[in-house]
Amino acid sequence: MLKMQDISKIYRTDLIETYALRSFSLEVTAGEFVAVTGPSGSGKTTFLNVAGLLEDFDSGRYELDGTDVRALSDDARSRLRNQRIGFIFQSFNLIPDLNVQDNVDVPLRYRGLAASDRRERITSALELVGLASRARHMPAQLSGGQQQRVAIARAIAGDPAFLLADEPTGNLDSLMARQVMDLLEQINEMGTTILLVTHDPELARRAQRNVHLIDGQISDFRAYEPRPAPSGAADAAGAALA
Amino acid sequence: MNLHIRPILSALLRNRTGAILVAMQVAIALAVLVNALYIVTQRIEKMGRPTGMDVENILIVQSAGFTAHYDLKSSIQQDLAWLRSLAGVLAATPTNAIPLSGGGSSQGLTIVPGDRTKNDSFGYYEVDEQGLDALGLHLVAGRNFRHEEVEPPITLDDAGRFVGNVILSRAAAKELFADQNPLGKPVYDTLGKQATVIGIVDPAMNSWVDSEHADWVFYMPRLTSALYGGVRYIVRTRPGERDAVIRLAEAHLATSNPDRVIHFVRPMTYFKDLSYLGDRSMGIYLLTVTGLMIAVTCLGIFALATFNVATRTKQIGTRRAVGARRADVVRYFLVENGMITSAGVLAGCALALATGYYLSLEYALPRLNLYFLVGGVLVLWATGQLAAWQPARRAAAVPPSVATRTV
Ligand SMILES: Nc1ncnc2c1ncn2[C@@H]1O[C@H](COP(=O)(O)OP(=O)(O)OP(=O)(O)O)[C@@H](O)[C@H]1O
Ligand SMILES: [Mg+2]
Repeated sequence: MLKMQDISKIYRTDLIETYALRSFSLEVTAGEFVAVTGPSGSGKTTFLNVAGLLEDFDSGRYELDGTDVRALSDDARSRLRNQRIGFIFQSFNLIPDLNVQDNVDVPLRYRGLAASDRRERITSALELVGLASRARHMPAQLSGGQQQRVAIARAIAGDPAFLLADEPTGNLDSLMARQVMDLLEQINEMGTTILLVTHDPELARRAQRNVHLIDGQISDFRAYEPRPAPSGAADAAGAALA
Repeated sequence: MNLHIRPILSALLRNRTGAILVAMQVAIALAVLVNALYIVTQRIEKMGRPTGMDVENILIVQSAGFTAHYDLKSSIQQDLAWLRSLAGVLAATPTNAIPLSGGGSSQGLTIVPGDRTKNDSFGYYEVDEQGLDALGLHLVAGRNFRHEEVEPPITLDDAGRFVGNVILSRAAAKELFADQNPLGKPVYDTLGKQATVIGIVDPAMNSWVDSEHADWVFYMPRLTSALYGGVRYIVRTRPGERDAVIRLAEAHLATSNPDRVIHFVRPMTYFKDLSYLGDRSMGIYLLTVTGLMIAVTCLGIFALATFNVATRTKQIGTRRAVGARRADVVRYFLVENGMITSAGVLAGCALALATGYYLSLEYALPRLNLYFLVGGVLVLWATGQLAAWQPARRAAAVPPSVATRTV
């Protein structure tokens, strides 16, 4: 599904070269929920950006759905991001001048879907995140947790195979963070592969697998027991938290 | 191609202050552009009116006798004989005034002797049998003057004398005779003296380019007189020989006759250009102001688009991340700008029409031609899009990683 081999990513400035990723290899299979942890500056966001085709890399090989992404044009990458990948950002990244449903609509429009199809997808995505009644609110009229749920609706409305989340709970208090995490688990259970970057070891523990980064390298794989049946998943994790 | 009009519009409406200001700028620029260009083209048309004369190849000599020995007739004959002997000269005539120069004589003409109901005034020129050729005028009916018809100059004692025959411009003939054939018909001066119309030239112009009836003119076969403040020659050369003839004439005439001075030897274009100087300056001024206006408007559009791009970097990065291609980003900003300019252009149409209407009332200009409005709309729209092009390209260069890299 996602296969990275010996990926290196170097940021060059006039003075220094930073190896944000070095000889990074990782394989993620369909349906997995992988948490990426590590200290600040260890390369988590870089990894996510490379994985999500937001940034190029310097060497190594990266296959997404069996396609070598190196060879893809900028437009092809855009199309792949649009159709296969959903993004969730730490600061939500809603478009402040668009209401909730128009925000969810953004990727669907770029995909060129028919209006009726888009309307259906927007409704069901908003229903899933519990904000169907807020469709015409502006982002500024929503709480942080609600905004992030709108962002999740935007990310999943297109039925992506991957969901990439960079500190999605970083700007939320713990209650809201837990709601968002519940939502992600729910989405994962519906079959979406999730890569989650987080500082929070407790949230990380709720994933099936942990990748720990230090200085752009994987220092530690911690595979957790696969979560039990969907119905008990949240409770099990909740118990682990408590 | 989906332009995503609705979400772009609703986002725009939430940030309308800058957009409204720029749209107003566009509106004013359109009103100025359309009306200024209309006025300018009218001036250009005015300057480009057919004169009927070979202005480019004509030179004018003006002289004045100043000694007691000066003899008008023999001086003129001597000078003309010399001028006509030059290889580059096609024809030459003495005359009382310079067409298109702003200075000359005019005279009332009627077709009923002593008719006081009309006081049409016609510019006139005293010429000899080479007069029409020297001016390059085109005879469309009747005949030219003959050598033996050329009458002696008027003097202080008989200044009210008229001539036997006249040649009219077609416009003058039309004014006097309407649809009748004027050839062979009499015309009368304001003293009731009669002349016969023997020819019609067309087109033709008198000395006053700003006159409503600059094409009302007639020609008399008469040697010009010193009473007109000097003697003038109209000399027509072969194409390309005018300046050479000017140099020759200057050198020769200055010394050939010690009893008179040469005031000047100048190309006819000098006088024409001088007469149209006001129109030309007005045109240049209007074009400059309009150009500046459009430049400032473009700057406004450019500034707003640049501002919008700069303040929306993160939004652009997010759009890129969720699947916008570079072209989609460019299109977004061009569509947005298109909405702003369209609003401005719409308001500008109303403003342009109102301004045009006001100008037509206040300055008796013809009403605004709608083609100008359509043209102005297209020009402003196109330059507006051009002004937003660079910021839009800059927006498209925002990398998708901005979505995760900025707070
Ligand atoms: N655009 C850039 N130019 C130069 N260096 C960069 C750039 N982006 C990231 N880096 C460097 O690359 C390294 C990895 O950065 P990255 O953002 O991936 O870390 P991170 O693990 O996400 O950190 P955090 O937990 O603080 O978000 C850091 O040393 C960072 O300074
Ligand atoms: Mg980071």
